[in-house]
Amino acid sequence: MKQTSTGRRGQRVWRGVTATTATVLALSISAGVVVDSFRTDIDKFLGTQSTKVVTEDADPATVYTYTSDYSSTTELLDAIEDLGERMSEEGTVLLKNNGALPLTADETQKISLLGFSSYHPVMGGIMGSSLTENTGTDADTVDMVEAFQAKGFVINPTLQTVYTALESTYTTEVESWGGTTSHLTITAPAVGGVFTSKEPSQALLDQTDATWKDSMNDYNVMIVTIARAASENANYTPGTAGVDPTQNLNQTDPLGLSDDERDLIQAAVDAKAANGGKVIVLLNNASAMEVQEIQDNEGVDAILQVGLPGGYGFYGVADILSGAVNPSGHLTDTYAVVNANSPAAQNYGDLEWTNPDPETSTNSELVEAENIYIGYKYYETRYADTILGQGNAASTVGSSTGSAWNYDDEVTYPFGYGLSYTTFSQTLDSLTVDMDAKTVTAQVTVTNTGSVAGKDAVQLYVSLPYTDYDKQNGVEKAAIQLLDYDKTEEIAPGASETVTLVADMQDMTSWDSTADNLAGTKGTFMLDAGDYYFTVGNGAHEAVNNVLAAQGQAVEGNAANVKTWNLAESDFTTFATSKNGTAVENQLEDMDLNYWMPDTVTYLTRSDWEGTWPKTYENLTATDEMLDCMDNDNYEITANGDPSSITFGADNGLTLADLKGVSDINDERWSLLLDQIELEDCLIRTGFGGTSTKAIESIMSPETIQNDGPNGIYSYTLGQYANTDASTGDPCAVDANDPNLNYKMGVMPNETVIAQTFSKQLAAEYGRVIGNYSLWSNLTIFWGCGTNLHRLPYNARNHEYYSEDAVLTAGQGTAYVAAAKEYGCIVAPKHLVFNDTEVNRTGVAVFMTEQQARENELRGTQAIIEDAGALGVMSAYNRVGCLTSNSHSGLMLGILRGEWGFQGLMSEDFIQDANYTALKEAVINGITMSCNTGDSTMEAVSAKWPYWTVENVSQDATLLAALKQVMLWQNYALANSNAMDGLAATSRLVSVRTWYDNALTGVQVVFGLLTLAGIAMYLRAAKRKKS
Amino acid sequence: MKKSAGFPLTALSAVLALVGLVFYFINCNTNYFVADGINPAVIGCTAAAIVVEVVLIAVALKGQKDWMDILPVAAPVLLMVSFVVFLTGRINAIAAIMTFTNNAQNMADLQSAIISMACLLIATIVGVVAAYFDVTKPA
Repeated sequence: MKQTSTGRRGQRVWRGVTATTATVLALSISAGVVVDSFRTDIDKFLGTQSTKVVTEDADPATVYTYTSDYSSTTELLDAIEDLGERMSEEGTVLLKNNGALPLTADETQKISLLGFSSYHPVMGGIMGSSLTENTGTDADTVDMVEAFQAKGFVINPTLQTVYTALESTYTTEVESWGGTTSHLTITAPAVGGVFTSKEPSQALLDQTDATWKDSMNDYNVMIVTIARAASENANYTPGTAGVDPTQNLNQTDPLGLSDDERDLIQAAVDAKAANGGKVIVLLNNASAMEVQEIQDNEGVDAILQVGLPGGYGFYGVADILSGAVNPSGHLTDTYAVVNANSPAAQNYGDLEWTNPDPETSTNSELVEAENIYIGYKYYETRYADTILGQGNAASTVGSSTGSAWNYDDEVTYPFGYGLSYTTFSQTLDSLTVDMDAKTVTAQVTVTNTGSVAGKDAVQLYVSLPYTDYDKQNGVEKAAIQLLDYDKTEEIAPGASETVTLVADMQDMTSWDSTADNLAGTKGTFMLDAGDYYFTVGNGAHEAVNNVLAAQGQAVEGNAANVKTWNLAESDFTTFATSKNGTAVENQLEDMDLNYWMPDTVTYLTRSDWEGTWPKTYENLTATDEMLDCMDNDNYEITANGDPSSITFGADNGLTLADLKGVSDINDERWSLLLDQIELEDCLIRTGFGGTSTKAIESIMSPETIQNDGPNGIYSYTLGQYANTDASTGDPCAVDANDPNLNYKMGVMPNETVIAQTFSKQLAAEYGRVIGNYSLWSNLTIFWGCGTNLHRLPYNARNHEYYSEDAVLTAGQGTAYVAAAKEYGCIVAPKHLVFNDTEVNRTGVAVFMTEQQARENELRGTQAIIEDAGALGVMSAYNRVGCLTSNSHSGLMLGILRGEWGFQGLMSEDFIQDANYTALKEAVINGITMSCNTGDSTMEAVSAKWPYWTVENVSQDATLLAALKQVMLWQNYALANSNAMDGLAATSRLVSVRTWYDNALTGVQVVFGLLTLAGIAMYLRAAKRKKS
Repeated sequence: MKKSAGFPLTALSAVLALVGLVFYFINCNTNYFVADGINPAVIGCTAAAIVVEVVLIAVALKGQKDWMDILPVAAPVLLMVSFVVFLTGRINAIAAIMTFTNNAQNMADLQSAIISMACLLIATIVGVVAAYFDVTKPA
């Protein structure tokens, strides 16, 4: 009996051991499948490589095409730091100054920093374009205090101590799965959330240190920082609905002030009365704030808008405060008195369909009924119409006072506005319109009439005729619009500089959806007959006043600074073809909700501001026809054409390296190369294109890493993919012990600051720095040029976009992308297009007129494709009308690939839902890869998209041709990038077993053996028991 | 027949697996995950593990047999496979919800997945521990 019991106990133990080892074995085997599925992501995370390209017997001089301007990472980082500081210097906007700025040298020794955001400023997005803090490198990032101290400022220690002691009161804790993230900066509300003011109250400050006000007697230059954060996947809700209802701080809008912020500013003003100092307010924001009350506060001496300045930008802010640099930034957005009163704000937020369907991401709609009138195009046009007495402009709709609409009650600072420590005069010397060259050439003489050297921005505006034809055919015209701009060099007092601007006339054309065109259909760009007024000015308001003065109106404008040009007859043909000769036509008719639901939407027109003021389009019910589109199944794979005519897997003896730098996409070698590609490769690579393009062995296409931005290449460290093998001859090879290898480049000012420079030169410098960084880090693809417009300041993601204006957006983007391309870096505009909100962005159906689409957001990207020749584009989460942006043929094939001639690679945004990815539709429409990742096998890709099989696709000649076409575009882009550096025709792809592969195999072997041993021991114990 | 520690442990493992399965179904019907459908491997492995553990208890209560010793080994193995398959199918979504698509609704949708995975994992561990004990004590 005893023997039996012992035997049974042995069986139990060995059964338990076997269960343990077998379970771990099951885990390790299953993990093997997981590792293959997520190999790309694991490699990115661990810095490992599962494949590598081996190149032997190649001359480094020929395989490394691109060269850096720098000889070391130290030089590279020095350049980044220097540019970050200079962009902030030129991108900081002086909004108000009664002479308090610049500070004297003595005053820089008496700085009191007020507001917790002075100590914890918003330097990048909370998510997306976030600041990457760097320490121990040659370019460590600094916050405001560190930068000011580095520039020799002396800061009130009492206040520093007070705000340090109060940290727990202004910490924001963001709950998320897996824990809580604490932010000492102000944060932007999550979608559906509200803004909570974190500014410590006066009582709290008194309670912490009763002497805090007295301390300012010795530090009487009082700088108050008011901040609003920016973030991807965040949102400000207009009005009181967007403010924490529990606070009762008289805050009427999340972008307006709370009582605690008002009280802080007033405390500084009161202290100034006693200590004879100065009060300077820093606005640390990307979305335009409501600051009329600060402007009106006579106790506030100066206001500086510093934006989100990145890791080195506060050096620049310090230089402006001290006068080492003269401010020359100008606003990229209108600062309205009440943001929620704009026509665009009438349709914003969570406007759900009454019949949503989560299976197809059918969630909400956004009817942009404001038409072309966003930002200054609204405020300045309505102003002009009040002066001209037309269009019921003086009605009460949209009025902040409840009385007749009055510009001065509505706008605090106009678009393009900015002050300097000196004064400038600008004279529009000459203006020439060349219809053949399609250019407008303006010569502007800028004279420094003050006593301090400085730079000035030259802003060329145009006012188009608004005719009866326009009114009859629904063509809208802004009373003023930016046509081009540039920045002077530094001009000494009394000196002058003549700036020549050559503007693209395309930017002054209007889209007429009703006009006949050269394609024999409807829709074209046109110029009306009539007088065109060109002028310059310190912002759009000054410009429109110049025009109105020239038209004989009694306004404070300079008629002498206006040039006119007359077009005798309306022109419907000059711009009826795009720059590549494609006849333009309506491509976005289905973006008008009236296309689907007739007579539903009234779009705003300046011919009747009151009668067409946008109502809020909510509680709409999508029709069956719309739902049919919104099911994301809009292309049926069928047996069609002659699939055998589409060649795959040929042996033509070419590799992608043979076409390195071949910019003619019609070169016949491209066709021969693509004939070599396997169909499976096309299917896998289009499906799984996330985080990098993977290697394609049949044509020896290299894996190319993708990176997010736009505030710098920050997805990986400088060293993660850097070449540490100097024997390759790579001029950008680094030492494995280089102290800068852990550097991350999310350090630059946000795009709004870059645009506020109004400097294409600085934008180009940024492109060159990015290009150089790309060479050293071996990171080629950069989703780094946000070109969505600031339709409203409530989009918390505005920091990743330049402006409310398309021409400024395109101007900065074009200079930037073109410069980076010189170094083989693919900087891609994103997100094509109409990604105007973070609310329900996966699925929101955006509606607007084609004129609005063409002249606003699309114009912001167009020149980057046409003129800079961008080789990459990212599409958007949102729908274009009812279709996912990737499914919209009019947008993707008609406009982007057709009219604009885009020939590069294209990724979807981070869409993980297989249905909403709409892979087959995306490929048909020229998207070269989705953003999903997975095992590079047909089984894996077919598991995600069951229709994506060789057998199914092989019958569809249309789809086969599309697959080859997108692979051509993708590899054409790579061949013309620095991804090919180090590759030669002899290069070959080699699989690498990573350490984690070996570890996993080891675990499987060990636990397999242990399981067998456990079984054996169990059987032995069982046998003993029996015996 | 007197019950041993294996009884409550095996029962607990089965209950946890059942709870995990219920939350899996709940998760598959949330707005965020409904389009992903239901993975038969998760259902099959979890259901099989529950059946195995129920059979183990039921048969053991009538008398311990050596052939039954395969059951406490099979159950945690099946549960582990189920857990890994489920996790694999949700990794991208978890990454997305924690970053680009983070909002209260999506977090709520994710909650059921987390509960389900936690139940499956704990059920696996409990199942392994249960394997060291018989369901009933020898008569």
